Amino acid sequence: MHKILALFLVMGFSVCLKAQITLGSTVGTFGVLAGTTVTNTGPTVAIGNVGVSPGSAITGFPPGSVTGTIHSADGLAGTAQTELTTAYNSVAGAGPSTTIAAALGGLTFFPGVYNTGSSFGLTGPVTLDAQGNPNAQFIFQSPSTLTTASGSTVVLINGAQASNVFWQVGSSATLGTNSFFSGNILASSSITLTTGSALQGRALARNGAVTLDTNTVTTPMGLGGPPPPLGTPAPSSLILVTTALLGVFVYQGRKKIFKPFITG
Amino acid sequence: MSWRKSIAVFTALALITCYSSTLRGMFDQWRSDEDMSHGFLVPIVILWIIWRERERWRSLPTEPSWWGLAFLALAAGLQFGGALGVGLFAGSLAFLLSVAGAVLCLGGFKWLRALAFPLVLAIFMLPKLAIVYNQATLPLQLLASRIAAGILTVSGIGVIREGNILDVGGHRVAVAEACNGIRYLLSLGFMAVVFGYVADSKTWMRLALLFAAIPIAILANGVRVAAAGWLPSLEAGTPHEVAGWLIFVACMAAVIVVRQLFNKAYVHYR
Repeated sequence: MHKILALFLVMGFSVCLKAQITLGSTVGTFGVLAGTTVTNTGPTVAIGNVGVSPGSAITGFPPGSVTGTIHSADGLAGTAQTELTTAYNSVAGAGPSTTIAAALGGLTFFPGVYNTGSSFGLTGPVTLDAQGNPNAQFIFQSPSTLTTASGSTVVLINGAQASNVFWQVGSSATLGTNSFFSGNILASSSITLTTGSALQGRALARNGAVTLDTNTVTTPMGLGGPPPPLGTPAPSSLILVTTALLGVFVYQGRKKIFKPFITG
Repeated sequence: MSWRKSIAVFTALALITCYSSTLRGMFDQWRSDEDMSHGFLVPIVILWIIWRERERWRSLPTEPSWWGLAFLALAAGLQFGGALGVGLFAGSLAFLLSVAGAVLCLGGFKWLRALAFPLVLAIFMLPKLAIVYNQATLPLQLLASRIAAGILTVSGIGVIREGNILDVGGHRVAVAEACNGIRYLLSLGFMAVVFGYVADSKTWMRLALLFAAIPIAILANGVRVAAAGWLPSLEAGTPHEVAGWLIFVACMAAVIVVRQLFNKAYVHYR
């Protein structure tokens, strides 16, 4: 009985290791998404959509600019919030996790799930090493806050992709001035990007506000997880039939092609 | 120009005018749907066949039939249905029926019989019938996946098939809707009929080649998917296009071989 139980545990463990987090296709188009308000100061550049739902207030665009579309309490923002909740719960439930200290500065992480019992604090450079696997995921779980110091950085190396980095934050996240951060921030409450900070990823707040101040938010192309497999359509039928017609003409010879059958 | 020719030209222009929106729709589909882009070649091949058989038409007696009006009325009903939203397929079929009706009205049944082959060939330029296409797509995708997985397994290459996705040592290939093999089926079916016409005067042979083209095209599509699974470099870009093209050339060669086998059997058992 114990052996069977152990087998199931091992199998469950394997499945957990293989499971990959993927954002929904709608929330994936948002660089900034808030539950109550999006407030901007200064010439922020948001590459991707900016939205809010169920709240409706979005201020500061302009002077801020958005390459995508601003969605204020519309259907798309609502769908994005629903997908965010699903993704948040998936990230929060991912495991098994490795428990780490709250201070992440100066550390290098390999793909995996990392958890701290309290809050995350970045006081220096943090390196995420994908070891050559572009599908490798880094999942950081915090029941409390995420705070980065001024000038701190999150560096991606060896194929690591910002779309495959998930920061689950139980309350609020704050990026320090002129810091550079990578990954998708999925916060239960609010997210604040202080002056000059840059985010290569997404700022997604479920219930609170997103506050911006002269930032650059670059939404990655991917949604996390492995890329969908490629399809293999055949060449167009025009090419195929043209080739075959030429082949038939050559096969039959010029005389036969232009000579009709003597049929009834 | 004789009055008969004048009436024929006038009828042709009238048909083109009446069905201009349908013809435009067909043209748009040939341009936008890579499964149907061979549609551009079908009228050319039909005109070539008509020209090739020109001596035959000249010797036919002209015996106009009132039955042509029945064809035209049926076609008008179909076209009306197409305009009401039944779809482009109904309108396109109505166009072919109208052509048949016009031939009956102007030339009679002997002319219609003589033109039956080009008219049948014209079916290959009709738009895909959505209800059939939608029903056939998924089974064809799964069939291609199964065939590809079977070929890879027999070849000693490990493959895991999950529905229409093949995992070959971590390299994943999806047999998407566009990879269902309908492109090969339509192209090879059309070419089998054209080859049958060029190479053989027997109607049964043309039909036999058309039916033989179906399993050949399905098998070839499976081979194509298996090749993409085996060699990731064949999955996209120019190598992928060239591989798909070469496999189609092999399909045509198979049709030619099948015709020779049928012919040998026919000679042997006759």
